[in-house]
Amino acid sequence: MTDLPIVGFLGLSAALLAVGIFGILTRRNFILLLIAIEISMNAAILNFVYFAAFRGATSGLTGQSIAVVLIGFAATEVAVGLGIVLALNRLKGTINVAQATELKL
Amino acid sequence: MILEQLAFAGLAVIAVVTAILALFVRELVHTILWIALFFVDISAIYFLLEAPFLGVLQLGVYAGAVTVLLLFGIMVTRKRIFSREAATGVGAVPVALALVTFIFLIATVGEFPQSAGTVHSYSPYDLSQNLFNVNGPWLLLLGLIMLGAVGGAIYLVREGRE
Repeated sequence: MTDLPIVGFLGLSAALLAVGIFGILTRRNFILLLIAIEISMNAAILNFVYFAAFRGATSGLTGQSIAVVLIGFAATEVAVGLGIVLALNRLKGTINVAQATELKL
Repeated sequence: MILEQLAFAGLAVIAVVTAILALFVRELVHTILWIALFFVDISAIYFLLEAPFLGVLQLGVYAGAVTVLLLFGIMVTRKRIFSREAATGVGAVPVALALVTFIFLIATVGEFPQSAGTVHSYSPYDLSQNLFNVNGPWLLLLGLIMLGAVGGAIYLVREGRE
Protein backbone atom coordinates (compact mmCIF):
# COMPACT_ATOMS: atom_id res chain seq x y z
CA MET A 1 0.00 0.00 0.00
CA THR A 2 1.46 3.31 -1.04
CA ASP A 3 0.13 6.88 -0.87
CA LEU A 4 0.34 8.91 -4.07
CA PRO A 5 -1.24 12.24 -5.11
CA ILE A 6 -4.31 11.69 -7.32
CA VAL A 7 -4.11 15.23 -8.71
CA GLY A 8 -0.53 14.67 -9.90
CA PHE A 9 -1.60 11.61 -11.89
CA LEU A 10 -4.53 13.40 -13.51
CA GLY A 11 -2.28 16.36 -14.31
CA LEU A 12 0.18 14.00 -16.04
CA SER A 13 -2.65 12.53 -18.13
CA ALA A 14 -3.86 16.02 -19.06
CA ALA A 15 -0.35 17.06 -20.12
CA LEU A 16 0.13 13.90 -22.22
CA LEU A 17 -3.26 14.37 -23.90
CA ALA A 18 -2.38 17.99 -24.72
CA VAL A 19 0.96 16.88 -26.24
CA GLY A 20 -0.86 14.18 -28.23
CA ILE A 21 -3.49 16.61 -29.56
CA PHE A 22 -0.75 19.07 -30.51
CA GLY A 23 1.08 16.30 -32.39
CA ILE A 24 -2.07 15.15 -34.20
CA LEU A 25 -2.77 18.72 -35.36
CA THR A 26 0.76 19.65 -36.47
CA ARG A 27 2.57 16.55 -37.78
CA ARG A 28 2.17 15.62 -41.43
CA ASN A 29 4.19 12.39 -41.44
CA PHE A 30 1.84 9.41 -41.00
CA ILE A 31 4.18 7.62 -38.56
CA LEU A 32 4.49 10.73 -36.37
CA LEU A 33 0.70 11.02 -36.49
CA LEU A 34 0.40 7.40 -35.26
CA ILE A 35 2.88 8.16 -32.45
CA ALA A 36 0.85 11.24 -31.41
CA ILE A 37 -2.31 9.09 -31.31
CA GLU A 38 -0.44 6.50 -29.19
CA ILE A 39 0.59 9.22 -26.71
CA SER A 40 -3.07 10.29 -26.37
CA MET A 41 -4.18 6.65 -25.97
CA ASN A 42 -1.57 6.15 -23.22
CA ALA A 43 -2.92 9.22 -21.40
CA ALA A 44 -6.42 7.67 -21.48
CA ILE A 45 -5.20 4.22 -20.37
CA LEU A 46 -3.24 5.80 -17.50
CA ASN A 47 -6.48 7.36 -16.22
CA PHE A 48 -8.19 3.96 -16.08
CA VAL A 49 -5.25 2.53 -14.14
CA TYR A 50 -5.19 5.43 -11.61
CA PHE A 51 -8.86 5.18 -10.85
CA ALA A 52 -8.59 1.40 -10.62
CA ALA A 53 -5.70 1.76 -8.14
CA PHE A 54 -7.36 4.42 -5.99
CA ARG A 55 -10.87 3.00 -6.01
CA GLY A 56 -10.06 -0.12 -4.05
CA ALA A 57 -12.07 -3.30 -3.35
CA THR A 58 -13.00 -5.36 -6.41
CA SER A 59 -14.60 -2.50 -8.36
CA GLY A 60 -11.13 -1.25 -9.30
CA LEU A 61 -10.49 -4.48 -11.21
CA THR A 62 -12.89 -3.40 -13.96
CA GLY A 63 -10.67 -0.37 -14.61
CA GLN A 64 -7.62 -2.61 -15.01
CA SER A 65 -9.59 -4.96 -17.28
CA ILE A 66 -10.56 -2.02 -19.49
CA ALA A 67 -6.88 -0.96 -19.56
CA VAL A 68 -5.90 -4.46 -20.80
CA VAL A 69 -8.54 -4.26 -23.55
CA LEU A 70 -7.42 -0.73 -24.53
CA ILE A 71 -3.77 -1.81 -24.81
CA GLY A 72 -4.96 -4.53 -27.20
CA PHE A 73 -6.96 -1.99 -29.21
CA ALA A 74 -3.99 0.39 -29.41
CA ALA A 75 -1.71 -2.37 -30.73
CA THR A 76 -4.33 -3.29 -33.35
CA GLU A 77 -4.65 0.35 -34.35
CA VAL A 78 -0.89 0.57 -34.96
CA ALA A 79 -1.01 -2.60 -37.09
CA VAL A 80 -3.82 -1.16 -39.25
CA GLY A 81 -2.10 2.25 -39.33
CA LEU A 82 1.11 0.70 -40.65
CA GLY A 83 -0.93 -1.19 -43.25
CA ILE A 84 -2.25 2.19 -44.42
CA VAL A 85 1.33 3.62 -44.33
CA LEU A 86 2.56 0.83 -46.62
CA ALA A 87 -0.41 1.19 -49.00
CA LEU A 88 0.04 4.98 -49.10
CA ASN A 89 3.76 4.62 -49.75
CA ARG A 90 3.09 2.20 -52.60
CA LEU A 91 0.46 4.45 -54.22
CA LYS A 92 2.03 7.88 -53.66
CA GLY A 93 5.71 7.22 -52.93
CA THR A 94 5.38 9.30 -49.75
CA ILE A 95 3.83 8.97 -46.29
CA ASN A 96 2.92 12.64 -46.04
CA VAL A 97 -0.79 12.77 -45.13
CA ALA A 98 -1.18 16.18 -46.81
CA GLN A 99 -0.74 14.43 -50.18
CA ALA A 100 -3.36 11.74 -49.55
CA THR A 101 -6.30 13.69 -50.99
CA GLU A 102 -8.24 11.02 -52.95
CA LEU A 103 -11.31 11.21 -50.72
CA LYS A 104 -11.49 15.02 -50.77
CA LEU A 105 -14.38 16.56 -52.68
CA MET B 1 6.06 7.40 1.18
CA ILE B 2 8.03 10.45 0.11
CA LEU B 3 10.31 8.21 -1.96
CA GLU B 4 7.35 6.95 -4.00
CA GLN B 5 6.09 10.49 -4.55
CA LEU B 6 9.55 11.54 -5.71
CA ALA B 7 9.70 8.52 -8.02
CA PHE B 8 6.33 9.46 -9.48
CA ALA B 9 7.39 13.10 -9.97
CA GLY B 10 10.54 11.97 -11.80
CA LEU B 11 8.62 9.49 -13.97
CA ALA B 12 5.97 12.11 -14.80
CA VAL B 13 8.59 14.64 -15.92
CA ILE B 14 10.37 11.98 -18.03
CA ALA B 15 7.02 10.96 -19.61
CA VAL B 16 6.13 14.51 -20.69
CA VAL B 17 9.67 15.35 -21.87
CA THR B 18 10.06 12.11 -23.91
CA ALA B 19 6.58 12.59 -25.45
CA ILE B 20 7.47 16.13 -26.55
CA LEU B 21 10.91 15.07 -27.82
CA ALA B 22 9.39 12.17 -29.77
CA LEU B 23 7.21 14.61 -31.69
CA PHE B 24 9.84 17.32 -32.18
CA VAL B 25 13.11 15.59 -33.16
CA ARG B 26 13.71 15.75 -36.92
CA GLU B 27 15.06 12.20 -37.43
CA LEU B 28 12.32 9.57 -37.35
CA VAL B 29 14.62 6.88 -35.91
CA HIS B 30 15.34 9.15 -32.94
CA THR B 31 11.59 9.62 -32.57
CA ILE B 32 11.23 5.85 -32.19
CA LEU B 33 13.95 5.77 -29.52
CA TRP B 34 12.22 8.53 -27.52
CA ILE B 35 8.81 6.89 -27.85
CA ALA B 36 10.30 3.57 -26.67
CA LEU B 37 11.63 5.38 -23.58
CA PHE B 38 8.16 6.94 -23.12
CA PHE B 39 6.51 3.49 -23.19
CA VAL B 40 9.03 2.06 -20.69
CA ASP B 41 8.41 5.08 -18.44
CA ILE B 42 4.62 4.56 -18.55
CA SER B 43 5.23 0.90 -17.71
CA ALA B 44 7.24 2.01 -14.64
CA ILE B 45 4.25 4.16 -13.57
CA TYR B 46 2.03 1.05 -13.79
CA PHE B 47 4.46 -0.81 -11.53
CA LEU B 48 4.37 2.16 -9.13
CA LEU B 49 0.55 1.90 -9.13
CA GLU B 50 0.90 -1.77 -8.15
CA ALA B 51 -0.48 -3.03 -11.46
CA PRO B 52 2.39 -5.40 -12.42
CA PHE B 53 0.39 -7.29 -15.06
CA LEU B 54 -0.37 -4.08 -16.93
CA GLY B 55 3.27 -3.01 -16.56
CA VAL B 56 4.49 -6.21 -18.18
CA LEU B 57 1.80 -5.92 -20.88
CA GLN B 58 2.88 -2.34 -21.59
CA LEU B 59 6.51 -3.44 -21.86
CA GLY B 60 5.69 -6.38 -24.14
CA VAL B 61 3.05 -4.79 -26.37
CA TYR B 62 4.08 -1.13 -26.50
CA ALA B 63 7.82 -0.98 -25.75
CA GLY B 64 8.33 -4.24 -27.67
CA ALA B 65 5.83 -4.87 -30.46
CA VAL B 66 4.57 -1.37 -31.31
CA THR B 67 8.10 0.10 -31.30
CA VAL B 68 9.39 -2.63 -33.61
CA LEU B 69 6.36 -2.22 -35.91
CA LEU B 70 6.94 1.54 -36.16
CA LEU B 71 10.65 1.01 -36.81
CA PHE B 72 9.75 -1.54 -39.49
CA GLY B 73 7.35 0.99 -41.04
CA ILE B 74 10.17 3.55 -41.27
CA MET B 75 12.59 0.95 -42.64
CA VAL B 76 10.39 -0.11 -45.55
CA THR B 77 9.22 3.38 -46.56
CA ARG B 78 12.60 5.18 -46.77
CA LYS B 79 15.71 4.76 -48.84
CA ARG B 80 17.93 6.11 -46.05
CA ILE B 81 16.41 5.52 -42.65
CA PHE B 82 18.44 8.27 -40.98
CA SER B 83 17.20 11.01 -43.33
CA ARG B 84 15.71 14.08 -41.68
CA GLU B 85 12.11 15.18 -41.78
CA ALA B 86 11.33 18.58 -43.28
CA ALA B 87 10.60 21.07 -40.51
CA THR B 88 6.89 21.61 -40.03
CA GLY B 89 5.71 24.94 -38.70
CA VAL B 90 4.12 25.15 -35.28
CA GLY B 91 0.85 26.96 -35.96
CA ALA B 92 -0.85 29.15 -33.39
CA VAL B 93 -4.15 27.22 -33.59
CA PRO B 94 -2.73 23.77 -32.61
CA VAL B 95 -0.77 25.31 -29.70
CA ALA B 96 -3.88 27.19 -28.55
CA LEU B 97 -6.07 24.06 -28.81
CA ALA B 98 -3.55 21.94 -26.87
CA LEU B 99 -3.27 24.64 -24.18
CA VAL B 100 -7.06 25.02 -23.90
CA THR B 101 -7.41 21.23 -23.52
CA PHE B 102 -4.72 21.18 -20.84
CA ILE B 103 -6.16 24.14 -18.90
CA PHE B 104 -9.70 22.75 -19.12
CA LEU B 105 -8.57 19.34 -17.84
CA ILE B 106 -6.48 20.88 -15.04
CA ALA B 107 -9.50 22.97 -14.00
CA THR B 108 -11.54 19.73 -13.88
CA VAL B 109 -8.81 18.01 -11.87
CA GLY B 110 -9.34 20.66 -9.14
CA GLU B 111 -12.68 18.98 -8.39
CA PHE B 112 -10.94 15.84 -7.15
CA PRO B 113 -9.72 15.44 -3.55
CA GLN B 114 -6.31 17.06 -3.19
CA SER B 115 -5.01 14.56 -0.63
CA ALA B 116 -2.91 11.56 -1.49
CA GLY B 117 -4.88 8.41 -2.23
CA THR B 118 -3.95 4.93 -1.09
CA VAL B 119 -2.98 2.65 -3.94
CA HIS B 120 -4.65 -0.76 -3.80
CA SER B 121 -2.94 -3.76 -5.28
CA TYR B 122 -4.63 -6.64 -7.08
CA SER B 123 -3.13 -10.01 -7.88
CA PRO B 124 -2.97 -11.09 -11.54
CA TYR B 125 -5.31 -13.94 -10.48
CA ASP B 126 -8.02 -11.45 -9.44
CA LEU B 127 -7.52 -9.53 -12.67
CA SER B 128 -7.82 -12.68 -14.79
CA GLN B 129 -11.01 -13.66 -12.90
CA ASN B 130 -12.50 -10.24 -13.69
CA LEU B 131 -11.22 -10.22 -17.26
CA PHE B 132 -12.32 -13.72 -18.30
CA ASN B 133 -15.39 -14.33 -16.11
CA VAL B 134 -17.05 -10.96 -15.56
CA ASN B 135 -15.94 -9.25 -18.79
CA GLY B 136 -15.50 -12.41 -20.88
CA PRO B 137 -17.89 -11.43 -23.72
CA TRP B 138 -16.14 -8.07 -24.15
CA LEU B 139 -12.80 -9.83 -24.38
CA LEU B 140 -14.22 -12.12 -27.09
CA LEU B 141 -15.51 -9.04 -28.93
CA LEU B 142 -12.02 -7.51 -28.69
CA GLY B 143 -10.57 -10.69 -30.20
CA LEU B 144 -13.03 -10.53 -33.11
CA ILE B 145 -12.31 -6.83 -33.72
CA MET B 146 -8.55 -7.50 -33.66
CA LEU B 147 -8.99 -10.40 -36.09
CA GLY B 148 -10.97 -8.16 -38.44
CA ALA B 149 -8.40 -5.38 -38.13
CA VAL B 150 -5.45 -7.66 -38.85
CA GLY B 151 -7.37 -9.13 -41.82
CA GLY B 152 -7.95 -5.57 -43.07
CA ALA B 153 -4.27 -4.69 -42.64
CA ILE B 154 -3.24 -7.77 -44.65
CA TYR B 155 -5.79 -6.84 -47.34
CA LEU B 156 -4.28 -3.33 -47.53
CA VAL B 157 -0.71 -4.49 -48.08
CA ARG B 158 -1.28 -7.67 -50.10
CA GLU B 159 0.70 -8.26 -53.26
CA GLY B 160 -0.64 -7.04 -56.61
CA ARG B 161 -3.13 -4.52 -55.21
CA GLU B 162 -3.13 -1.17 -56.97
